Amino acid sequence: MPTIRIDNKTIDVPPGGTILDGARRLGIDVPTLCFLDGLTPSTSCLACMVKLRGEGRLVPSCATTAVDGMDVESETDEVHRVRRAALQLLLSDHLGDCLAPCQRTCPAGMDIPLMLRQIADGRPAEAIVTVKRDIALPAVLGRVCPAPCEKGCRRAKADAAVAIRELKRHVADVDLALENPYQPECRPASGKRVAILGAGPTGLAAAWHLARQGHAAMLLDRNAIAGGRLRTEFTPDDLPQAVLDAEIGLILRLGAELRPNTAIDDSTVFDDLRKRFDAVLVACGAAAKEQAGRWGLAVAERGVRVDRGTFQTGLPGVFAAGGAIRGKCLVVRSVADGKEAAVAIDRFLMGRPPEAEHPFSVRIKHVTAAALATMLATASGASRREPDAGFGPWTLAEAAGEAARCLHCDCRDQEGCKLRRYAAAYRADASRYGSADREFREVRAASGVVYEPGKCIDCGLCIQIAARSTDSLGLTFVGRGFDVRVGVPFDRSLDEALGELAAECVEACPTGALCFVERSDQESARRPP
Amino acid sequence: MSESNPTTNPLDLSFVDQVVEAQGRRPEAVIPILQAIQAHWRYLPPEALERVCALTEITPAAITGVSTFYMQFRHRPVGRHIIHVCHGTACHVKGAALIHEALARRLRLADGKDTDAEGLFTVEKVACLGCCTLAPVVQIDGVTYGRLTPTTVPEAIDDFLRRRDAPARETRRPVVFDGEPVGEIRIGLGSCCVAQGSGKVREAIDRVLAETRAAAVVKRVGCVGMCHQTPLVEIVSASGTSKLYAKVTPESVAPVVLKHFRPRGLARRLGYRAVGWLDRLLTDEPGNPVVRHAIDPREGPVCAFLGPQRHLATEYCGRLDPTDLDEYLRHDGFKALQRSLEYSPQQIIDEVEASGLRGRGGAGFPTAKKWAAVREAPGEPKYIVCNGDEGDPGAFMDRMLLESFPYRIIEGMAIAARAVGAEEGVFYIRAEYPLAVERITEAMRECEKRGLLGDSVMGQPGRLRLSLKQGAGAFVCGEETALLASIEGRRGMPRLRPPYPAQNGLGGKPTLVNNVETYALLPWIFRHGAGQFAALGTAKSKGTKVFALAGKVRRGGLIEVPMGVTVRQIVDEIGGGVAEGRRFKAVQVGGPSGGCVPAELADTTVDYEALSEVGAIMGSGGLVVLDDSDCMVDIARYFLEFTQDQSCGKCTFCRIGTRRMLDILARICEGRGKSGDLGELEELAVMVKAGSICGLGKTAPNPVLSTLRYFREEYEAHLAGRCPAGRCKALVRYRITDDCIGCTLCAQRCPVDAISMTPYVQHRIDLDKCTRCDTCRQVCPADAVIVESEQVARP
Repeated sequence: MPTIRIDNKTIDVPPGGTILDGARRLGIDVPTLCFLDGLTPSTSCLACMVKLRGEGRLVPSCATTAVDGMDVESETDEVHRVRRAALQLLLSDHLGDCLAPCQRTCPAGMDIPLMLRQIADGRPAEAIVTVKRDIALPAVLGRVCPAPCEKGCRRAKADAAVAIRELKRHVADVDLALENPYQPECRPASGKRVAILGAGPTGLAAAWHLARQGHAAMLLDRNAIAGGRLRTEFTPDDLPQAVLDAEIGLILRLGAELRPNTAIDDSTVFDDLRKRFDAVLVACGAAAKEQAGRWGLAVAERGVRVDRGTFQTGLPGVFAAGGAIRGKCLVVRSVADGKEAAVAIDRFLMGRPPEAEHPFSVRIKHVTAAALATMLATASGASRREPDAGFGPWTLAEAAGEAARCLHCDCRDQEGCKLRRYAAAYRADASRYGSADREFREVRAASGVVYEPGKCIDCGLCIQIAARSTDSLGLTFVGRGFDVRVGVPFDRSLDEALGELAAECVEACPTGALCFVERSDQESARRPP
Repeated sequence: MSESNPTTNPLDLSFVDQVVEAQGRRPEAVIPILQAIQAHWRYLPPEALERVCALTEITPAAITGVSTFYMQFRHRPVGRHIIHVCHGTACHVKGAALIHEALARRLRLADGKDTDAEGLFTVEKVACLGCCTLAPVVQIDGVTYGRLTPTTVPEAIDDFLRRRDAPARETRRPVVFDGEPVGEIRIGLGSCCVAQGSGKVREAIDRVLAETRAAAVVKRVGCVGMCHQTPLVEIVSASGTSKLYAKVTPESVAPVVLKHFRPRGLARRLGYRAVGWLDRLLTDEPGNPVVRHAIDPREGPVCAFLGPQRHLATEYCGRLDPTDLDEYLRHDGFKALQRSLEYSPQQIIDEVEASGLRGRGGAGFPTAKKWAAVREAPGEPKYIVCNGDEGDPGAFMDRMLLESFPYRIIEGMAIAARAVGAEEGVFYIRAEYPLAVERITEAMRECEKRGLLGDSVMGQPGRLRLSLKQGAGAFVCGEETALLASIEGRRGMPRLRPPYPAQNGLGGKPTLVNNVETYALLPWIFRHGAGQFAALGTAKSKGTKVFALAGKVRRGGLIEVPMGVTVRQIVDEIGGGVAEGRRFKAVQVGGPSGGCVPAELADTTVDYEALSEVGAIMGSGGLVVLDDSDCMVDIARYFLEFTQDQSCGKCTFCRIGTRRMLDILARICEGRGKSGDLGELEELAVMVKAGSICGLGKTAPNPVLSTLRYFREEYEAHLAGRCPAGRCKALVRYRITDDCIGCTLCAQRCPVDAISMTPYVQHRIDLDKCTRCDTCRQVCPADAVIVESEQVARP
């Protein structure tokens, strides 16, 4: 049994085993995209590169047989640079959107396509769960948000954007009308306490998310009631009091505490807060800039100075977000900040390193007319439904009809995609080497498999698997070099190619190139609520 | 996919049945079957491919994968005649792109189409036709037209159509002699010689001999190497004296022949004298026109060209009939094999080791070490393969060796086979080399017929059977694992080594893969002894190396020099330097895997280590000389475009990395470069080199890295919007100076009407219309058209 060293750790590898086998035994997560146990390594993706110390050579660990005495580097800067380059090169030729453009343009990063599918399928109870993962005040935002998501909506290139904001409002209103509106389950109490200065949109959102994480959040506001600028910037026609009160009520009911008529004007009170609470979040809007000096916080051009990734101010344990750091901003930005600050505070409280988490996504840069036609083929052809003034809210069926206009630009394999997973882990820059300039194509099989050649990374796993079938045609590489693509012999159908091995091929595909059209099975796996 | 024409009948697929009958039903027969089908229909009709799958073990996936991998195969019907435009290095630097454009104009090809509206011609780009000294070259259905310019392209097409329509010539009649002493007329008939007109000269010689009944035999010989002098005729008189005639034309054949051989019969003699006298009178040429063509090997340029050369692999070049086995035997042929039969396999390997021979395919791996590995590897049977898949643009050494010395290569293979214990050998030769395929096939047959090979080797126990597989247009198949995949009928994708073919080759058995030239050197080594071979060359690089010398050099050709000569000796002494008025800038060594040796490092010696130290490689032996009119950024882009196009597409770094490098180079050449581009390019180059699995990817960045190393200022000039050499179209403009005489020639020839017809007035070029095709500059009788590259304003 050969013994090798990886990153200075010694490991025995079974005879005939590879460096990758050794790395796995050591618990090292070496990225592999084109490799699958039981199949011949194709050494195509080269994301699993390691360095042989003696020879100074880089080799793919998946196909390099371990030889006794080998000295290997895996988790070093040099090796990581090469792996990152491989991932970035693959990304530069990977045509697709991990996240739909609407989700990417939403400041709160809400999973809009999932919400739309849930509405279209008549599952409003699931839709509100999706919405509230990211947005604490959906009924409010459903009325006052200028809907940047709709500017991102690809459907707008064909006729008009999906009425996303209106649908979000629909979901929230339907929920609020229930006897028991949706309240998420909260994590067990952590015993940590967070003071939030200001019960405007930022503070309320932060309180909601902190409560979900099991922390005791206390909202301190100089006014008699919570709501902050939501009470002053909008007319009751635009934002009825009742709606605002209802959503604030849900937040407080989830566990956040409100201290109205509480002004923190001098430094001793502020310092006292810092002592009594495990963390403080400054969320009192644009006014914070004037107060900051008194509290010992540095200011930047627009507001309190923070690290933009972690919302931390110069004072340990003190965070700031929303209008407090930005001066003026959209309500949805405040709500998003509240969520992100809550995540950052949670990390701080739980002793995890501060880290800005931005979901990784590639994107389709240019959508040609032909590509758009392909995307439209499976969506509802109806034109955009506007709210009918005076006719009351949409029925579930009307909402479903509008939601069915969605093109579902988001990737079916968001969570399973190994390319995305490792790209995020290696902090790959998706456009480091440019963006894919292929034509979007989609091949749908009667069996429910959908093949997107643009997302294929030419790993060849499906070809190897399909070759095992005795009664189907199999797959092959067609062409060569940069333009090589997986295809079906004689231009026959995907069903004829895959036969009974379709599910196995979909399972093996490291990206969303081969998927089942039906997404429902996979969506429960998307981010936990 | 199918383009079935409703007016034509369904294909008669019985031809497919015959092909399968001849080639067999095994998966490895797929490439020969596809080649036969394409030869028949000129493309691959889908119904024919389905028929193949129905008849054989070849699967639809395999036939689709293979037929779309190799460039040779076409899936759409083509025009009646195929025009191959060579984009090899030499052709590139001599304006292949302009030739391609001129063809498209002449044939009125619609944008993006490769076939004309009448379906008469299809234009295809080919990597290299291996006629580098005739650059730029196009080949129309096997007829080669060399030294073209955009203005002569239409003439070439017209010439082709005339030939096609002309009635077939009468076949040659054998000439019968009656006892008089006989002299010999030798004419080189390698494919590039034929391209240069040697075929027509040979026809003229036959005609003259038939008419005069002069006492001479015509002998076809292999490559002489002096491509710059072709068509080259050597006349060896009955007494044995020899005279060389260079650049012979069909018209000059009669006087040359008659100078040495007397016509028989008084009437003929008189007739010919009269003709000669008339000729002189009409052409007003002083003296005997024959003298003009005669060259003496001991004098002047020929002497310089041959001087530093040592002919080992090319021994007796220009003197042997390539497929005449008896003649080869008379010139010590198979004596080396005879001797090696007296040795034990280990002694053979020891002898090769003592010679210091290293693989001539490019990387220079010690030959004896490779042989020992194959010999010691467990597994039977063992195979031996001759790698004749020379695909580098700018290289044609292996083609010349295969065409000219087939027996020598077979002899070398037989020695190697004995050393490693192989009883079966395969020649893998690219399909673009039909003459090489033909001559090797004939030579193999002859050897078997005479009992030199086959069930016994020269009558000794032990067998050796040789066969030949043709490549199908994939440069990457020069990589040994890809080559083996191709022999086995698969897509030519390299795989990770180890295991090496020495352990795991054809059919998983130990396999020796050596290059053509390596085998060609063995007979010399075994006849003269390892010591004599090792006495040539440098400490680590022994013996000689064959190079294809081309580009901007006066005397291009096929040369064999001892290791250790300097690049400068090759360029100046052998090649005669660059053209007058031009400055020698660099030599590109090793083609797309190699790099540039700049003029200031021209004293670098030809030696594996010395070349790699300066950032080049020995490579297989392409030497393209560049002068000050060549843009180094364009050269880097050219090579990368080639390797990028030839990538098999397996590894990320090669498939996508080379493409991204090319994106950057292309925008630099087009004047759209960004300030960080050079750093980006360099970084990517290093990644691709480090991260690729096979030799193609690992060396693809070399031309970029080497030009960045020596000519960085040229890259920077491009970033600033200027191409110092005036090559990059987007960065140059054409201008007509005061020297213009107003002759309107440029206006008449301009393909895009960018010059207005203004007789006797200085012409002007409309730069918005101008496509930089260079025609005006070439036709201007007053040299009034100049190319400028000033700081071009950026959009």
